[in-house]
This record gives sequence, C-alpha cells and structure tokens, in this order.
Amino acid sequence: MKEILKLDHIQKYYGNGGNVTKAIQDISFSVQEREFLGIMGASGSGKTTLLNCISTIDTVSAGHIYLDGTDVTEINQKQIARFRRENLGFVFQDFNLLDTLTISENIALVLTINKIPAGEIDGRVWEMAEKLNIADILDKYPYQVSGGQKQRCACARAIINSPKLILADEPTGALDSHSSQMLLSTIRSINEDLGATILMVTHDAFSASYSNRILFLRDGTIFKEIRKGGDSRRTFFEKILDVLTAMGGGVSDVR
Amino acid sequence: MYAKLALRNIRRSLRDYIIYFITLTLTSALMYAFLALGFSPDVLVMAENMSMLTTGILLMSALVAFMSSFVIGYAIRFMLGRRKKEFATYELIGMEAKTVRNLFLAENSIIGTGSFLLGSLVGTGLSGLLNQVVKNIFEVPHAYQVSFSLQAWATTFLFFSLMYGFGMFRAAKIIRYQKVIDLLYDNRKNEEYCFKSFHHSLLVVLLSIAAMVTGLILLGRMLQVQTNEAFLYLGGACLLILVGVYKLHRQIPLLLHRFAKRNLRHKYKEENLFFLGQIGRRIHSAGRTMAAVAILLTISLATMFVGLTMGAGYKANMKAYYPYDAGVAIDAPLEISSMDSIVSFVEEYCRIEDSVTYYLYTVPEKSIEALSLSDYNHLREILRLSPVSMGDNEFLVHCDTWNYMDEIRQGLKQQPEITLNGRTLTAAQTPIRIEPMEQYQMAGTKGYVLVLPDEEASQLTGEKIRLVMKLEDGGYPKLKSDLKQFLNSGKWQPELQSGKQLPEKVTMGVTVKAWGVANSLTGFTAISFCGLYLSIIFIVLSCSVLAFEQLSAIDKNQKNYAVIDRLGVPSRRQASLLRREVSTVFLIPLLFPILLTILLIAGAQFFFGEAILQEGLILFYGLVTILIFCAIYLTYFCATLFLFRRVILRPSIR
Repeated sequence: MKEILKLDHIQKYYGNGGNVTKAIQDISFSVQEREFLGIMGASGSGKTTLLNCISTIDTVSAGHIYLDGTDVTEINQKQIARFRRENLGFVFQDFNLLDTLTISENIALVLTINKIPAGEIDGRVWEMAEKLNIADILDKYPYQVSGGQKQRCACARAIINSPKLILADEPTGALDSHSSQMLLSTIRSINEDLGATILMVTHDAFSASYSNRILFLRDGTIFKEIRKGGDSRRTFFEKILDVLTAMGGGVSDVR
Repeated sequence: MYAKLALRNIRRSLRDYIIYFITLTLTSALMYAFLALGFSPDVLVMAENMSMLTTGILLMSALVAFMSSFVIGYAIRFMLGRRKKEFATYELIGMEAKTVRNLFLAENSIIGTGSFLLGSLVGTGLSGLLNQVVKNIFEVPHAYQVSFSLQAWATTFLFFSLMYGFGMFRAAKIIRYQKVIDLLYDNRKNEEYCFKSFHHSLLVVLLSIAAMVTGLILLGRMLQVQTNEAFLYLGGACLLILVGVYKLHRQIPLLLHRFAKRNLRHKYKEENLFFLGQIGRRIHSAGRTMAAVAILLTISLATMFVGLTMGAGYKANMKAYYPYDAGVAIDAPLEISSMDSIVSFVEEYCRIEDSVTYYLYTVPEKSIEALSLSDYNHLREILRLSPVSMGDNEFLVHCDTWNYMDEIRQGLKQQPEITLNGRTLTAAQTPIRIEPMEQYQMAGTKGYVLVLPDEEASQLTGEKIRLVMKLEDGGYPKLKSDLKQFLNSGKWQPELQSGKQLPEKVTMGVTVKAWGVANSLTGFTAISFCGLYLSIIFIVLSCSVLAFEQLSAIDKNQKNYAVIDRLGVPSRRQASLLRREVSTVFLIPLLFPILLTILLIAGAQFFFGEAILQEGLILFYGLVTILIFCAIYLTYFCATLFLFRRVILRPSIR
C-alpha cells in the first residue's frame, strides 16, 4: 500500500531562553493510504500539537512531514492555503460549521473554494449527503439539527473533495454516546467504503477502538503503538484500555 | 484598587472603546462648538434677531442629546456583550454584582470624562473656525481666534451628562440583574433567522414604493399651496417617504440576497457562498438597525443639503431683495414734493449721493403698473446699470422674477403692441429687461413693471409714490427704524395730488439695505448652521451605530474566517472578503439616502435653480453635502475595517 503521510523526527518547542516547553520531542511514523490511524494520549501529551503541525496550522521546530511525497514543512505561506484545500479534510470537535449557511451550503463551500463548476456542486452534495444519511436536513441551518447530524455534515464537508488525508480532532467530544457511536460508524464507513485515509486524535478509548492502528503519545513522544489486526473491536478496545492503564503509571508513581 | 483595575481594563479593551470614544468626542466637540457660536457675544451683536441662532442651536442640542443617548445605550450594550464573560468571572471569584457594575461604570466614567474634555478642547478650536465662518458671511473683518465660553461649556456638560447618564443607567441595570449563567454563555446562543415569504417581501416593497411616490406627490402639492396647509402636506410627505425608506431598506437587501442565492452560477463562484452567508446574517440580525440608520442618513443628508442651499441661496438673492441703500414706498397719490422732507431727514444722518422720487403709474384696464423711462433709467443709474433707450412709440417690460418670465414672453409674442390713451406702442428691440430691481415694492408691486416713454407715462395717474436713495457707505441698519419713526411722528406732512383722495388704508414701506442684509443673514446663518450641526451629528451617530453593529459580530466572524482559513482560502482572499463584507454593511443603508439626495438636488435645481441668482449654487451645495458626508462616512468605514482586519486576520488569535 502507498505511504501517504510520513513524519520524520519532528519536534515542536514553545517559548525561548530558559522557558522552553517541549510539546513534541521526537516523533516519527508513517500512515498508509486508506489507513484509519488513531492518536491517543492524555492532555498535554502533544496530540493536538501534532495534528496542528500535520495540518499546517502550526509549524515544526525540527524534522519533516511528508504528505504524498510533498514536504509540508517546506511549503511557503502563499502555497499553504492551496495545499490545505487540495490535500486535507478537517473534522473538529465543535463541528466548525458556519451558522450562516445551510447544511447543504456548508458542504458545498469546500467545492466552491476548490472552484468546482457550479453545475456539478448540488449533485455532488446530494450524493455525499445520501451516503452519510443527511439528505433530509440539507436545507436546514446548523442550529436546526442535532449534534450528530452536524458532525456528519462536517464529515461530508471533509471528504467531499476527496482529500488525501482527513484529520479528525476529537470528533465525538461534543456528542452524546448514541450520536458518538453513529458518527464513528460513519467515519469507519468513510474509511472502508470510500477509501479515505483518516488520522483521528482522541482521548476516548471507545472512539479509538474504531481505528486500525493507534499511537499512544506521552510527554511528546510515542509511548506505544498497537494494531487492530484481525482482532474484534471489543478485543481491540480492551487492548487500548490496557495500554491506557499502563500509561497512567504504576504503583511506584503513587507517593 | 478598582480605579486601577478600571484603567487596566480600558487599556485592554482599547480596541472596543476606540469607536465609542471617537463618537463621544466628536459629539461633545460639535455640541460645544455650535453652542459656543450660539452664545458668542461677537456673533450676537451682528444683527437684531441673532438670538434666533442661539435658540435654534439650543433646540438642536437637546435633540442631539436625546438621539445620542440611544446611541450611547447601544454602544454600552455592545461593550457589555463583549465583556459578559469577564464580568461573569469577576462574579464567580466572589465579586458582588454591585461591585462589577461600579467597575464598569468607573471605566465608562473615565472614558466619558476623557472624551468630554478632549471634545471640549477640539470644540474650542472648532468654535473659533465657526466664528470666522459666520463673520465671513456677515462680511465683518475677522481673524482666527480661540476663546473659551463658560456658558457653552456648562450647557454642553449638562446635555452630555444627561445623555451619558441615561446610557449608564441602562447598563447598570443590565449588569445588576443579569444572572452569571447568562453572562457566561450568552455568546453561545445560536442566531436564528426569521424568514418571510417571497410574496410578503415583494408586497412590502411595492407598498413602500407606493408610499414614497405618494410622499413625493404630496411634496409637489406642498410647493403649490400658499397656506398653512402646506405644513400638513410636508408632514405627510416626510412621514410617507421615511416609512417607505425604512421598509425598503428592510426588504430590498433580503430580496437581493434571496435572488443572489438563487443564481447558482453566482452563488457557487469562488467564495461567494461564504460571502452571501456572512451578509445574509448581517441582513437578518441587523436589518432593523441598518434600516433605522438609512432613515437617519436620509434626514441628515436632506437637512444638510436644504440648510446649506437655503442659506446660501438666500444670501445669493440678497441683491435682488435689497438692491437700494434706502427706499420709501407709499401707496397713495402724493405730490412728488412730499418726499423732500424725507430726503432732508435722511441727510441729517448720512450723506445722500443720489436720490429719485417717482410714481408707479396705474395702467387703465391692465393689471400692470408703469414707470416712466427717465425714472427707470435713474433707478438703473443708482444700481450702476447702463441706461436703456427706446423710441417714443415703444415700450418694454422689466421683470426680475423668473416665474412670470415665460408668461410675459408668450404675451409679447402674441401681442407685441399695446394701446394706451389711443396711441399704439410697440415692444422695444429688447422688450424684456431682467436685472434685479426689487419688483414687489419699489420697481413695481407684482413682480414686473411696464416701462413707458415719459410723455406716455405722464398721461397716466401716479397712484403710488416711491423714493430711492443712494447713501454714502450704504447707510446704517438703524436708519430703518429712524425713518419709520419720522414717517409716523407727525413731522412729515405729505401733500395729496390735487383732486385726489387718500385711500382708506395706506400701505407704507421702508427698506434699508444695511438692516436687511444684517437680519436676513441671521436667518441664513441660523438655518445653515442648525442644519449642518444636526446633520453632522446624525451622520456621526449613524456611522457609529453601523460600526458597533459590525464589531458586535466580530467573535462570530473570527470563528467563520478561521473555518475558511482551514478549508484553504488564502489570506489575501480573506482580506478581500472582509473588505466586501464591511463595505456591504456600510453600503446597504446608503442605497436610498443617496438616491433621495440626488433626487432632492435634481428637484431643487429643476424647481428653484432659476430663482437663485447665483448660477450652479444648488449643484455646488449638493456636492458639498455629499463630500462632507463621504468624509465622515469613510472615516468610520476605514476605522471599522481596520479594527475588523486586525482582529480577524491576526494569525495569533486563530
């Protein structure tokens, strides 16, 4: 399978002089095409910083990030916007939908920004909405639909332009358990049926269990990596819990 | 401790306070400057009725204070909205609501005091300038001079305290009674739009247009009515036009937005979809405010234009109203010698360079009066006009009143000959003369006069007698009352023409240019300055409301622009979208005010252009109005755009 994302010894420091915070110490890994990778870790472990660096929202202090062979860290400010719109899709915890547009228009926004001909847009939006089961709410505004529906709309917006990589930052963070489950099934089907490559950051073991591989971060480094392989989701979930328990510290840490 | 915290808060919220501060400063500066002008002893001694200016400015100031109190309330609500979370935090850490309120009031008092003091300073400078402008109008020697008026300052302080106090009172009530949870989560509330059907919007648009057209028709009728009924027409017309402007401004943007969204090619072109969403929200959430601003701007532009044009037009026409230094008009068949004692009386006070006593002759069976050619030429000589000549069997018409001109021209075309006492006279080579001669009292009483050869005129009856004098240095304003006193004192003994009787009622008129100029200019100054004052303040208030309206959406906009940033819209496109958004918000309330102002200027030029003796005056002051307006409007637009761009496009806060 083709390697779509490669992180090569990246580091990220904040501050200067004697007041330096090492958010990411030295992380290297790669993601294959059509893979669903989860990144887990406690608060302050560096997972959001990592996601921001991959998504070009933040810059790295050292190292390189390659997306489909292009070194993201070398892209200049002028090309970043184009790079994002052509290669990346985003799903955020707080949906980040525009209240000013309907669900349909929120999805169409990405296509208009990518200069897709006007005649094609409605058809593509409808097709995607059908797949994600939100066709009946297309004319509603975000404030008129549930959190789960909003997040499915965000997913539709993230994948409608067939980006090389979808970045999901705590996508279930603002949803109830039922909506979370539905959304995760949707994300999995995006990965399996539509062949999208997904990198999902989460601190929730249940959400992470939907991915194929998980990287556990602690203090800015990769603490452990586990793969689902042929396991059932339940078994994989238990494995995740075991790692989390191990990460939480041993008896010697309790003073 | 709290004062320190208040000062620190002001420094931190400087961005939010800046437009508020500018508005307060401008309001107090203009208020002080105009009040100082109204109370200025230099200005008050210029004419008898100059107190009209003081009264006008005081009334305008009360209106300005009233209107400003609403804008201040609006601004304070905006700032409260921006800082609700901060106030909730204060309350959560144990600060009493009363203390939070006092803290906010302390901050506002500092801002208010600062802006008032700065406003007074700027106003003092401005009042010197206004003083100079007034002196220039009265043609009094002048130089820029700054003087402080305690009376104006105290009055400004009173009005300022009232308008500011009202706003603060409302703010205090909100903070005191709002729950912490509301303060904390207020900004998380969704904006909900209320959509009206297309047919409803269209119906309202049609009704609004009908209202405006009816208003314009009433305005046209008003111009034809000479009685007090005209005020009724004016009131009705203004009401209908303003209601029409308001409703159109509510509906037209909604309809345009709807049409723009229906056109898929346009809607899906690049970032248009995002832009339409942004504008749609502003139209829905701030539509009422924008429509109210449109009304304020309509009033401001109309007031400024009417004030400036009426004033300047009045001054331009002064020569026509007062062409002679002094004149006495008596509608009685007196002997020419009756006027000699008047001449002697005037001579006691000022030297007479030239004078002429003449009759306005009654033309039998014609509704026109006549002047003899020699008297007419004497009047022309006094007015420094070249004399005219005509044959013994010729006549001419003098008419300096534009509204009779067409009728006279047509009459002469159809009937170029007249018969008087059995002799036929034909129209002279130049049959109509139009130089300003004052034809409602001195050179005729109907707006026109017939000029006849002396021999012909002498055969008519002189039922009205006139005396015109040219005085050294133009005389002095008090001459009018002196002359009136003399005419009514009994010292003047008029002599009736033989065989004539005194009419039941004798109309006597005294005209003195020096008096007329001084007192007419007062009207001009009062109208122009009150119009200018009111309109500038209204424009400032409208602009600040628009700026606050736009800035109140800054948080939501920040979030939205961050979303499109992540979706890959380049920074320069975002900057362009921002510019489009702020421009549209500032442009929407301008649609009809500008259109109506242009219509008003064109209408004024069409109806009154010829009546004003200075060519192009209406168009000139129309342009001045638009330029003053643009200068203020663009300043606020640029300030808002600057703040908007700084906050929204600043990468560190994304």
